[in-house]
Amino acid sequence: MADTAPNALCFGDGFPASGVPCVVHVDGHGLTMTFLHDVHGAESGSDSVPFSDMNVSAGGLDHDQLVVKWGRSAEQRILYLKNHDVIRAFRQAAPPHLSSPLERAAEQVRQVRKRHRMVWSVVGGSLLALVLGLWFGSDVLVELAVDRIPIEWERKLGESAYRDFLGGQEVVQEGPAVAAVEEMTRRLAGQIPDTLYRFDVTVVKSDVVNAFALPGGYVVVFTGLMKKAERPEEVAGVLAHELNHVLQRHGLERIVKQLGFIAVASIIFGNQQGLGQMMKQLGVELMTLKFGRAQETEADLTGLQLLYRAKIDPSGMITFFERLAEKDEGRVELLSTHPMSGSRAERLKAELAAMPKVIPEPFAFEWAKIRTSLGVPISIGP
Amino acid sequence: MKSEILYPGAFPMVRVELSEGEHIKAESGAMVACSPTIDIESKMEGGFLGALSRKFLTGEKFFFQTLRASRGAGEALLAPTVPGEIVILELDGVNEYMVQKDGFLAGADGIAIDSQMQSMSRGLLGGEGFFILKMSGKGMLVLNSFGAIHKIELKPSQEYIVDNSHLVAWSATTSYNIEKATSGWVASFTSGEGFVCRFRGPGVVYIQSRNPRGFGSWVRQFLPVSE
Repeated sequence: MADTAPNALCFGDGFPASGVPCVVHVDGHGLTMTFLHDVHGAESGSDSVPFSDMNVSAGGLDHDQLVVKWGRSAEQRILYLKNHDVIRAFRQAAPPHLSSPLERAAEQVRQVRKRHRMVWSVVGGSLLALVLGLWFGSDVLVELAVDRIPIEWERKLGESAYRDFLGGQEVVQEGPAVAAVEEMTRRLAGQIPDTLYRFDVTVVKSDVVNAFALPGGYVVVFTGLMKKAERPEEVAGVLAHELNHVLQRHGLERIVKQLGFIAVASIIFGNQQGLGQMMKQLGVELMTLKFGRAQETEADLTGLQLLYRAKIDPSGMITFFERLAEKDEGRVELLSTHPMSGSRAERLKAELAAMPKVIPEPFAFEWAKIRTSLGVPISIGP
Repeated sequence: MKSEILYPGAFPMVRVELSEGEHIKAESGAMVACSPTIDIESKMEGGFLGALSRKFLTGEKFFFQTLRASRGAGEALLAPTVPGEIVILELDGVNEYMVQKDGFLAGADGIAIDSQMQSMSRGLLGGEGFFILKMSGKGMLVLNSFGAIHKIELKPSQEYIVDNSHLVAWSATTSYNIEKATSGWVASFTSGEGFVCRFRGPGVVYIQSRNPRGFGSWVRQFLPVSE
């Protein structure tokens, strides 16, 4: 029993322009077309066409149909085959004189598909490259934007946050602790040639074991850090680290990053004044800015070099991180904005080992006295 | 299922008579009125991904509505959003039509609607976008246009040139190339035609007598400019 669902469209003189649906069967001699309905001008019933009368090519909107032609002028009939089974049967049964045009038609289909694939992969690839470029190239754009922000402007920004912060804190105005921090700052800053930054370091009474830097050169050292540090070199290490956050303009980089691409673009193209306004609108709080891991590592390494140049024993910085590492247990480095203190210490040790040896110069003050002035009980050695 | 175009011309409607149990799918919002025996359901034609691709790739609606004569025979009146003629085609399982994204109004359940990717040149310059709707399967297909619908019948190898914004639907046995309207680039655009599609038969091309985009920009000049 023949399959009665139409599987091809037949065109010809007198046929409707949309073609006449028909059922095509392929056998060893050619094909048989069966029209299901009487069509004006078309032979109703079946019509057999031998292979010897046929021409084949690829056709249709996407060149994915097999076009079979036979007859001349008014008698010409054209069959559009899209059904894969019929096309396969046709190719298998076709005699040698049709194999090369069939191969040409198949090649044409392959070429069209290949071209489509290629064009779309190029477009897709370029889009992907653009997205990846913006994603990974954003650091370069951010740096470019940060370079265009004048230092005076950065200082104004840092100063207002600094004043706001100090307003609610107990500032240590004078005394041995302030003098010690001032000496450390002087020695470190003395080794930063040609800098446009002026460092304002303030000691704040708090048990927080930390120090932080704001854009423009404003640094806060908490007395908690000084109490915890067993040697002044440890505090100097943290200070060197914070000064380098300022020098590398890490704060500004974070601000620009948080404000996003539009801010970057507007700064690169000349509108630096608008940034302050934008920050106010977006509610970016300088105090809540966290530096990224890459920035922390950079500040560690440049801080180490600064200590080295200032002839302050860099091992202080390392021992301080080692002490912090004891608190790190249970933290996962990948999830943290700060590198783990343990691995920071390891990295710094490796870096220090590669540096030529230098004899450190001690500070003028006596550390034990400074700690005592901060309320640390005098420890009696074991 | 029987269908009839009421008020042919600029503001037509289609009346579809459904026997009990029959259903049709129509563009979301197409139903104007129907018998109380007809239930209206919302359906993501082609599944979630199919609907998603149709929505984002061709700009068609995410949901289609299904009108089902679940409680006895009845009729539904359907109309498109824009003023323009309606054409009813009968698909027989072999002929397939490509339809520009706003052209589909309704179709029998046997009609399959897919979004199909066009070649880069057709997508960029054809005015229909990179993805168009491909209608295949068997049954009634109702298309709508902006303005009147004109049917161009192409014999094998016969060519015809159509301004790309006037296309409604074309059979898959045709092929077309995008080309400049005139031989020079400047003249192509100053003539107001830009790019045109050179269709080659055999097959049928349905075109609309008005250009929706052109009409849109014409209307825009009368809209008050907001502050």
